Amino acid sequence: MRIYEDLRVVQARLALLQNALVVVMLLLAGVFWHLQVLRGRYFKTLAENNRSRLVPIAAPRGPLLDRQGRILVANRPSFNIVVRPEHVEDLDDLVRRLAVLLNVGEAQIRERLAARASPFRPVVIRQDASLADVAALEARRLEFPDVSVDVVPLRSYPLAAAAAHSLGRVGEIQAAQLQLKEFASQKPGDLVGQAGVELQYNRALLGRDGSLRLVVNSRGREVRELDREAPEDGPSLTLTLDQQLQVVAERAFGGRAGSAVAVDPATGEILAMTSVPAYDPNQFATGIDAAAWQRLTSDPDTPLMNRVIQGQYAPGSVFKIVVAAAALEEGLVTPRTALFCPGHLAIYDTVFRCNRPEGHGWVSLRQALAQSCNVYFYQVGARLEIDRIARWAKRLGLGAPAGVDLPHEQPGLVPSSDWKLRTQRVPWYAGETISVAIGQGQVTATPLQLARLAALVANGGHLVTPHLVKAIGSEPRREAPPDEARLRPETVAAIREGMCAVVNEHGTGWRAQLASVEVCGKTGSSQVVASRSKQPISQATMPHGWFIAFAPRERPRIALAVLVEHGGGGGQAAAPVAREILAHFFRETGAPSAPVAD
Amino acid sequence: MPIDRRLLLNLDWVLLGASLLLCAIGVAMIHSATFSGTNSALYLKQAAVVGLALVAMLTALALDYRRLADRAMLLYLGVAALLVYVLVFGPRIAGTRRWFLLLGLQVQPSELAKVAGALFLAKVFAEMRKDSLSLRDVLQPGAAVAGLMALIAAEPDLGTAFCLVPLFLAVALLAGLRLRAVVSLLVVGLLLFGLGWKYALRDYQKVRIYTFLDPNLDPKGAGYQKIQSQIAVGSGGLAGKGWKQGTQSQLGYLPARHTDFIFSVLAEETGFLGVLFVLALYLLVLWRALEAAQLARDRLGALLAAGLTAVLAFQVVYNVAMVAGLVPVKGLPLPLLSYGGASLLSTWLSIGLILNVRMRRFAN
Repeated sequence: MRIYEDLRVVQARLALLQNALVVVMLLLAGVFWHLQVLRGRYFKTLAENNRSRLVPIAAPRGPLLDRQGRILVANRPSFNIVVRPEHVEDLDDLVRRLAVLLNVGEAQIRERLAARASPFRPVVIRQDASLADVAALEARRLEFPDVSVDVVPLRSYPLAAAAAHSLGRVGEIQAAQLQLKEFASQKPGDLVGQAGVELQYNRALLGRDGSLRLVVNSRGREVRELDREAPEDGPSLTLTLDQQLQVVAERAFGGRAGSAVAVDPATGEILAMTSVPAYDPNQFATGIDAAAWQRLTSDPDTPLMNRVIQGQYAPGSVFKIVVAAAALEEGLVTPRTALFCPGHLAIYDTVFRCNRPEGHGWVSLRQALAQSCNVYFYQVGARLEIDRIARWAKRLGLGAPAGVDLPHEQPGLVPSSDWKLRTQRVPWYAGETISVAIGQGQVTATPLQLARLAALVANGGHLVTPHLVKAIGSEPRREAPPDEARLRPETVAAIREGMCAVVNEHGTGWRAQLASVEVCGKTGSSQVVASRSKQPISQATMPHGWFIAFAPRERPRIALAVLVEHGGGGGQAAAPVAREILAHFFRETGAPSAPVAD
Repeated sequence: MPIDRRLLLNLDWVLLGASLLLCAIGVAMIHSATFSGTNSALYLKQAAVVGLALVAMLTALALDYRRLADRAMLLYLGVAALLVYVLVFGPRIAGTRRWFLLLGLQVQPSELAKVAGALFLAKVFAEMRKDSLSLRDVLQPGAAVAGLMALIAAEPDLGTAFCLVPLFLAVALLAGLRLRAVVSLLVVGLLLFGLGWKYALRDYQKVRIYTFLDPNLDPKGAGYQKIQSQIAVGSGGLAGKGWKQGTQSQLGYLPARHTDFIFSVLAEETGFLGVLFVLALYLLVLWRALEAAQLARDRLGALLAAGLTAVLAFQVVYNVAMVAGLVPVKGLPLPLLSYGGASLLSTWLSIGLILNVRMRRFAN
């Protein structure tokens, strides 16, 4: 027989528990509704951030091509060995093992790790690693889960030093540059142009960086690729340079310091631009080390300076072209006017010597240019006076930057009475005009300005804007409308005739003569020390030799300026360099035909 | 003793079916959580353990619960002995001694303690036969349970030890403990917690509680589990990311994902709808279990079924709340879903006893 217990209290309280259970479960469901449905989007973003990592893919800079489409600057793939320290458990141990594997000092790796901006930023341990290093690392992938090999495009300059100054170089962006508007889209660590065309056209050369989204697990390891946005290469830049002419110009200096620049006289396109000594821009592509940089900056031969646009030298006798043009235009002389040269000129209580002590006798403009007679130009200069010389010099493009598309161009100097009063607070001394008339004294010019002067004579009196870039991508450079002629045709013709005689009629520039093409030129020497100085003759006191030229005489296709530092007279030092360049340009070899006295 | 046909008719097939379905879902989620890892066959092991646990359940079903309860004191002492044994001879793993090996099987005495404790308390309170119990009445059984708790907490396994609190409260409450007494018990508990905080809790346990209060204190350390679990749950959205498609789980952001945090995997991969379905299944199981207590023919049956249900309900609610980030992270598995033999075994033993009570409601 069953005895039923009184279970009423138990059952009542059980009902209570049952209801409580339902309430609790409903509350829990409500919590999940809140988390999953109401805040689902928020947590989805968090989960997405958890699992994906955005890795930028650097877009290669546009390549630089020469006027024929030959490669001047390209990109090559290079390997960076990168440590992602974020998940490394034992950094010391990793450094030790890496040092052995890559055969470098532990200190070097530690230094790079210590320099990182944040503990989560990947650190490049070795730039441009060799294939052997990469192979060694890849073989031990599992032992080094936090070390990876990144492929990055690296700038490569196959011409090495041969066009360093015009092409320029790249380097990591500097803190000060980050503030500038022209680098607005760049971020720390980016490689940007630091000189030459690389700097001037930095923006045009940039591509659009791509990106890679990776799925990473909780340990930060890459699991797979999520998606990829390919980088867009920067547009190619077609330069006006001729690669071969550039190399020839470089070699023509044979190790001497100096510079040469050749332009197309009709357009101002720069065909070759050389400044020696130079440097190898490849050194900068991976970041130059401090010692090498120190060597470059402290070198007395200033290899980092682009002499073509930054070297300001007294133009020497090349300036006689300017004085001749001024005299003709001002009507002081005609091509037929003959002046007497006894070998010196006594004026303003001073005796100014001619370059030929015995004198040139009666000389016309043509002979004065051909023989570079100082006395002729002393006399003309004295009659023009400094301010008229200055006006014409400026009209012919001196004393102001030529406007080339390169950074840091220097203006040279055209002195005038105003200028002297303004800067030195003393009036102009007439005797100084005599020095200026033959391109000495305070007047200075860059090789580019004098090449522009040669081009002006070659093209009938027009000032061209020298430039290096012919086209950006498929977009040709917009040509500036032709400048109005700065000289009358008769003036140009007279100067041309004189310049022609310089090379072809026993003039000072005979060493630039070519067999098949008539070269017109003008020599000059830029005095380094005062002519009457008693300093012993040495390399350092030798004058700089100038030669500017254009060819052929009719419808000239090339105009150039050459300067050989401490090379002596322009005829001996610079004309042969010019000849080599011209010979290559006109596809000619062989020595000049007749040696004639300077 | 063969089971009577009449008994089988009274078996709660709904509770059994829902429990089996939860186990099947657990096996599927364990597979998703572990298939890409080094232990890709864990789900098979779990399925095998479910089979074993069903045998245990049948055993618990076959014997009349009253006969079992007659030996409650013996069972209590046996479990206490095992708890002492594991404290002394159990292998030390990650600073804890929680199980020992017997015939190649892991025996976890703390899991058995829940079942034995329920039998013991049900028996003791059933024999009090008073409608209203004072604190003094519950002092002795309370001390007995506290002894088990102390042994489990010493392993240390605070989570499992704490499971005995709802067991005791539920049984005592149903047996007629005055509500005023329940309140004063809670106050004493809080006081004990305060003292424990000061003298007994280890630093890592305190850190867990601190970071529960503000997980961003240490997002990569102690707060990590809570943050990552919430992200997993929340990012599951309404319909989930799909089986085996949960990024939080598959990429290893979720800690203990096949054991204590299996519900996060479920929430991430099956979304709110999956969560709702599984919560409904749990509610069904627990509801039917309490129903078994209500239908019980005697106080013993009612108290036994209710006590066992209280333990299960506490674990389910705590684990789900932990996954949602509502309560501090504690090593409490989710009954029926989490990977782990010991928890599965004790859960099915409990279910067996609950079924037992309902099945024998008309029997002599």
